[in-house]
Amino acid sequence: MITLSMRPCGDFRTTYKADTRIFETRFILLLTIMTVVALCFAPLFLDAYYLTLFIQVSYLGIAALGLNILVGFTGQISLGHGAFFGFGAFASAWISNSFAIPVWLSIPLAGVLTMAVGMMFGLPAARIKGLYLAIATLSAQFIIEDFFARADWFSGGSYGAAADPVSLFGMDFDSDQSFFYIALFALVFMYLWGTNLMRSRDGRAFVAVRDHYLSAEIMGINLTWYRLLSFGVSSFYAGIGGALYGHYLGFVSAEGFTLMMSVQFLAMIIIGGLGSVQGALLGTIFIVLLPEVLEATVSLIGSTGLMDAGTLVENLAYFKEMAVGLVIILFLIFEPDGLAHRWKQIKSYWKFYPFAY
Amino acid sequence: MQKTKILKASVIAAAVGTLLTMHANANAKEKVFVGHLADYSGPTAAVGKHYADGIKDTLSWLNSNGGIDGTELEFESIDYAYKVPQAISNYKKWTSRKNMVAMQGWGTADTEALISFAAKDKVAIFSASYSGHLTDPTGKNPKTKKPAPYNFFYGASYSDTCRALAQWAKNDWDQKGKSGKPGFIHIGDNHPYPNAPKKACAEYAEEIGFDVKPPVMVSMKPGDFKAQCLSVKTSGADYGYVANLGSSAVSLIKSCETVGTDIQFMSNIWGGDKLIFEAAGKGIDNYVFPAMTPFWTDNVPALENVREIARNSSRDVSFQPHHYIRGVCTTLYMAEAMKWAKVNGGITGENVKKGMYAKKNWVPEGMDDVCLPANWTSNDHRGINTVNIYQAKWNGGDINVDRISQIELPRRDDWLGY
Repeated sequence: MITLSMRPCGDFRTTYKADTRIFETRFILLLTIMTVVALCFAPLFLDAYYLTLFIQVSYLGIAALGLNILVGFTGQISLGHGAFFGFGAFASAWISNSFAIPVWLSIPLAGVLTMAVGMMFGLPAARIKGLYLAIATLSAQFIIEDFFARADWFSGGSYGAAADPVSLFGMDFDSDQSFFYIALFALVFMYLWGTNLMRSRDGRAFVAVRDHYLSAEIMGINLTWYRLLSFGVSSFYAGIGGALYGHYLGFVSAEGFTLMMSVQFLAMIIIGGLGSVQGALLGTIFIVLLPEVLEATVSLIGSTGLMDAGTLVENLAYFKEMAVGLVIILFLIFEPDGLAHRWKQIKSYWKFYPFAY
Repeated sequence: MQKTKILKASVIAAAVGTLLTMHANANAKEKVFVGHLADYSGPTAAVGKHYADGIKDTLSWLNSNGGIDGTELEFESIDYAYKVPQAISNYKKWTSRKNMVAMQGWGTADTEALISFAAKDKVAIFSASYSGHLTDPTGKNPKTKKPAPYNFFYGASYSDTCRALAQWAKNDWDQKGKSGKPGFIHIGDNHPYPNAPKKACAEYAEEIGFDVKPPVMVSMKPGDFKAQCLSVKTSGADYGYVANLGSSAVSLIKSCETVGTDIQFMSNIWGGDKLIFEAAGKGIDNYVFPAMTPFWTDNVPALENVREIARNSSRDVSFQPHHYIRGVCTTLYMAEAMKWAKVNGGITGENVKKGMYAKKNWVPEGMDDVCLPANWTSNDHRGINTVNIYQAKWNGGDINVDRISQIELPRRDDWLGY
């Protein structure tokens, strides 16, 4: 886990303020702004395939950050994140369809609603932890999934729910090119918010609960409240991610928000780096791109004509499934701190070049 | 050192050369792109594999026979393992880079995720997701949540199939001269796919004089279902609709055989094929299931053409499940619509859609009695309203499968998209 107390040598801070800076140097700040500005022009140059991948990264990344706040920062566990993601999608569709509330408003409202549901299912965290909590949150997954299939008034049952596109100033954001901006805005906004939250009083309380709950309690941190709050924040993020997903597709089906999805979110944050805002994003990018890269490789091999593309597709399918599992195992063994840690090492390597220690 | 350099250079040159020649070949012929999402490794692979094989083989066969009147069908089969994100990203890749006009999809998850995109991009999507709500292209029925103007499937919807089975059950009951109200029960998981026909079918069963019992929930994942079989037994139902996929149906039949449930099972379209019967054992006797095509071994002359398609891709021609034949039919309907589109303004998604409406009561060329005569119209995508009813006989291990009836359903307005 990436902790604030461990720093590589040569990395000095002289004020407390410097410790909590979001952008460590002016250069990083500039680089970030430039990246975001450059991304604003992306729809002009990139085709729908790249845009859809970016959009996927943003809605999944937002939800993954939520899970990382819960698991990586507060030290709790949730196996129901996929269900909360789905709940956000249905809630936003339901709010905008039933109450004639514009979609741009129904998305945050869906987040709040999911937050309430998440806190309800987070209640067991007040008493139990570890594996027991994992099983308790597993129940959330099953209860909510069953709810989707039964609650016709909310989710449309087996018929699913229609979700209108985001509409602002008379413009519909229903193409990849336009929705890209919604996704970009949401991603930047939610990640900045997440980063800020982590350096606030509440954020420090989360970390204290994770690192040593007894000491935290002695210091006056209300354990129950902060565990619950963490569940709430985490579900809020999941809800926002899910709502974006729903309005992007235009249709929410009760299929797909399975336990597998929850596990995939966990995989994202483990690969990316537990307890790192950056890691959540890196992990999401990795998980989204992995199948695409594998598939591109398959079709590249297929297009050379060296092997029959048909049989290759059939056979590599199994390899693809295994690859995801293999990557997770390899990460746990060789990179337990995730991609975020690796990124930090690369950064410090260049920073201290050629005097790397 | 020098050697490796030369080797490297020649490998690169060869690769570039191959790519260039391929590119040159690509320009030589008129082409149209069809995307194909298949499930070879996901949760629905057991049946998805056969259906996908049918599509792939037919596309290859069409190409080796001149394509769409000279236009080659360029296609790419992707195993998306029933994962929505992969379905979306591939769809986007195909629409933005390959100018896709039509797509052969697979299950409920991918089909529903792509409804809005397809309508917007004007890409005709053919799939094996027979949900009733995909049949209302204009949203005529107030119950329709989201009109699906560019979605097509070959076959009766899950709801219509179940209605046909209920109709058959009623006839069966009357024929056997039994008195009283027969009991009807839905056996399936609480999941969008088994739930799809639940309400619609129960309503119709009640309408034609069934006593509809409360549904029994059975998991989609195979397991020990003896407890559920006891519930079915005590419910007093005479006819049970098995709404789950094949492997779960196998477990159900085995468990119910042990418990001794005396009930006529009727499965949905994915719940009955030869592989399932062989796995299920003795309890399979009298099992009724629907099909939109004949069985591989039926005496239908046009099946030889299907075998030809299989042979063309060196597939085993001794047997293929009816899901394979359904894949063939779906692809051929698409191909015929493309042929129509080609002479009526060019092969675009919009024209393929129109091509689907062009003919009435039509069967793809050379597929008489294999594919059922279909009717698609611009406000009714219920292509098929006829259901073949088959029955399996245990026959001491040498399972016989025979067509016992064909039910034609009325095209009721209140059934559109439901």
